[in-house]
Amino acid sequence: MAYLAIAGATKQFGPDFRALDDVSISVERGEFFTLLGPSGCGKTTLLRSIAGFSDLTSGSITLDGSDLRRIPPHKRDIGMVFQDYAVFPHLTVFDNVAFGLKPRKVPSAEMKQRVDEALAAVRLSPLADRMPAAMSGGQQQRIGIARAMVINPRLLLMDEPLSNLDAKLRIELREEIRDIQRQIDIAAIYVTHDQEEALAISDRICVMNAGRVEQIGTPQEIYGDPQTLFVARFVGTLNTLSPGPALDALLKKLKLPQSGVQTWTVRPEQLELFETGAASADAAALSGQVSKYTYLGREAHVQVATDLGHLIVQLANPGTSAGYRRGENVSLVIRRDAPMGFDAAGRRVPMGV
Amino acid sequence: MPRLNFWTLVSISTWLLLLVLLFLPVGSILISSVYDDAGNFTLANYARFLSEPRFHRAFLNTLVVGFGGLAGALLLGSIMAFCISRFVIVGSRFVSLLAILALVSPPFIGAYSWIVLFGGGGLVRGWLRAVGINIPPIYGLAGILMVFSFKFYPYVYLMVSGALSNVNRSLEEAAEGLGLTPWQRAFKISFPMVFPALSAGGLLALIHAIADFGTPRLLGRGYNVLATEAFNLYSAEIGSNMSMATTISVFLIAVSMFFVMLQRYMSRRNVYHGNMINKPIKIRLKGWKNVLAHFAVYAIGFLGALPVIVSVIYSFRKTSGPVFKPGIGLQSYERILFNLGDVVRNSVSFSISAVALIVLVGTLVGVLVARRTNLNTSLLDGAFMIPYVMPGIVIGIAFIAAFNTGPVVLTGTAAIIVLSIFIRRLPYSVRTTASALRQISPSMEEAAISLGYSPFRAFLRVTVPLIVPGIVAGGMLSFVTAINELSSSLVLYVGSTMTMPVRIYLLILDGDFGTAAAMSSLLLLLSGLAVYVAFRLMGRNEQALL
Repeated sequence: MAYLAIAGATKQFGPDFRALDDVSISVERGEFFTLLGPSGCGKTTLLRSIAGFSDLTSGSITLDGSDLRRIPPHKRDIGMVFQDYAVFPHLTVFDNVAFGLKPRKVPSAEMKQRVDEALAAVRLSPLADRMPAAMSGGQQQRIGIARAMVINPRLLLMDEPLSNLDAKLRIELREEIRDIQRQIDIAAIYVTHDQEEALAISDRICVMNAGRVEQIGTPQEIYGDPQTLFVARFVGTLNTLSPGPALDALLKKLKLPQSGVQTWTVRPEQLELFETGAASADAAALSGQVSKYTYLGREAHVQVATDLGHLIVQLANPGTSAGYRRGENVSLVIRRDAPMGFDAAGRRVPMGV
Repeated sequence: MPRLNFWTLVSISTWLLLLVLLFLPVGSILISSVYDDAGNFTLANYARFLSEPRFHRAFLNTLVVGFGGLAGALLLGSIMAFCISRFVIVGSRFVSLLAILALVSPPFIGAYSWIVLFGGGGLVRGWLRAVGINIPPIYGLAGILMVFSFKFYPYVYLMVSGALSNVNRSLEEAAEGLGLTPWQRAFKISFPMVFPALSAGGLLALIHAIADFGTPRLLGRGYNVLATEAFNLYSAEIGSNMSMATTISVFLIAVSMFFVMLQRYMSRRNVYHGNMINKPIKIRLKGWKNVLAHFAVYAIGFLGALPVIVSVIYSFRKTSGPVFKPGIGLQSYERILFNLGDVVRNSVSFSISAVALIVLVGTLVGVLVARRTNLNTSLLDGAFMIPYVMPGIVIGIAFIAAFNTGPVVLTGTAAIIVLSIFIRRLPYSVRTTASALRQISPSMEEAAISLGYSPFRAFLRVTVPLIVPGIVAGGMLSFVTAINELSSSLVLYVGSTMTMPVRIYLLILDGDFGTAAAMSSLLLLLSGLAVYVAFRLMGRNEQALL
């Protein structure tokens, strides 16, 4: 049995709203597991039921073989990191981190040692005696992380811990969180709505939507092989190909089956751009006109008006050239393995490529 | 779960408390107003109220002093708020202190100090007459309105200055960019933004003006309002008419409640949450405008604090009996020390008892209201509005009506005075605790729970330390209100339970202004200490005084 196993988790709010609908996941020891989804998808509700702050309507949660739902939250031995940091403003940084060791009756010498280690891990040792009130968000969250991990919890939960921080710090701190988690080798469940963060930090990702699990997999599987239209759209960007004779012709040329597919999509980085039509054997060319050019430094997005609608092409390393002008005629190349087809229910249709 | 039971118990006890200390007394005045002395049901009192010119006049006068006081307070308060929040005023913190002084000054003494200066034989009037300027004495409506304006303007000032300094400057800049003139900007942007604060401050001034009993009593000279009529009918040595007094009380409650509802209705949609990104800057005025702004602010501040200043000065004047002699002396304080020690002791012990109760019960109910929001707690929150707007005289009469006979007889005890203060101030304590709690993120307690603390211990170890400074500060401010409470105590006191404000009132009626001034100064000192402690604990937050 998995280290953490959740089976058939359902949470009903009132008669009409189901925040969680038959969710089952399992997390292994030492695994970094991310719940990813838009706000209201149930990811925080799931996390809070693991922590014990809200109980499930039905379903089971077991941690290392013991039934968590029977254990009150303060006895679950689960560390939690909060979105708003929840740092105690009336205690020093040291006392904040030591807070969880007190009910565990850790001897004071050992307490000092463990707190010092935890503070060193989050690089806050010089601030141990300061009050946290005037500290930056990044520093406060570091306190929150140290406080949660110092108790050597059986499980570490993180509820959008980086969403209140600015972009640069977010990237820096997520690397630190990943390093610390690997170092102490603990199972971690991380909630986020930021797909890039999820891809960067996770061993496995569970994408959720409207209280249900859409797909569970490694970052590569989630991004490269999305099983539902929702996952494909939510993780990364997606071009939808407009139906019509042009699409039929394209599919015919690429020898892709059309039966059962409702929506055809393709990722921007799977498209290529040529000034003149030059297509290899297993690819098709599509002519169009540049309608917008967006330069982003390390990449650029070219929007091309084609018979399949406005398609975005992502160019890596656009360099310092002026790029494409509006109205310029271009040729767009679609390889045979690029399009992804989804059926009427939004499920991926296998192509057998 | 034991915790759930505990809070259910708190909820039930709170309702019981309200039943005994609020609904029962209010019910008693309603009942008393519809029964005659023989115990028969009658609407004669209401008929009398509606037919007798004496009551018509009192009712009309109440509205006149209410709205007159409101207008004066709005005018003075807005001028001061505008100048201090928008212009650089030298010593603006000192001026704010003067406003606080006016706010915590003991009742009655204000009216009397004005008489000392501008009354029949008034000091200032005398000086002016010597240089050939004759002004009429301050008695009557004009005097009442003047005292009210200078006593109640701090309500408007403190409310509005807070709101004005939070109006996002970008809004005004945007209006400027759209081509509005400064006047249009003031009326179309700034005014609507501060309207809720303006109306809330105005409401406080209005409610206090309607409830005020001392000022019309001393300055009115026949200008009677409902509060004085109710007291006269209640306390008349011959022909005391309790049922007529309670009838008037019913009208007083109705008038107060009506204005509270009106203010809520008027500002129902105007709730703006200012963000702090772009705070207004203070303009440094030049030339005559600068002089004018400083003059206005200092004139209002000093005139408002004048009664306090006068009574402190007079408390150190040499006296012989009630007569002032030239020179400085401490006889007034000696008299308090040797003859009136029990009055001071009463005041201090009653206030401390009331505040202890207020803090204890207010915190529990505040936690209940903030943490367990449901229909029950919303109703509780609403019920607490009633004692908040009840005039002191009415509370006093209601307590007499409820506890004079029947199973619990409390008249003449210290308990009845403590309880009357307690119920009037409890809503404030509930509100401050509830709002302090709502500002603490629930994840704070959850963090403690996840770290191994039981919910109750998490509350004790995390939430309580965070709200304690606010609770103690709130208690200190309640102490200020409690120790200055006059009108309900005036109805409820007996010889052995006399308090300082009551004694001051009686001293003034006896013409012993020296002792009254000394006692007022003592009250002021106690209030000032409490305010100081409160500000030390929670930062200088003048709005908390409201």
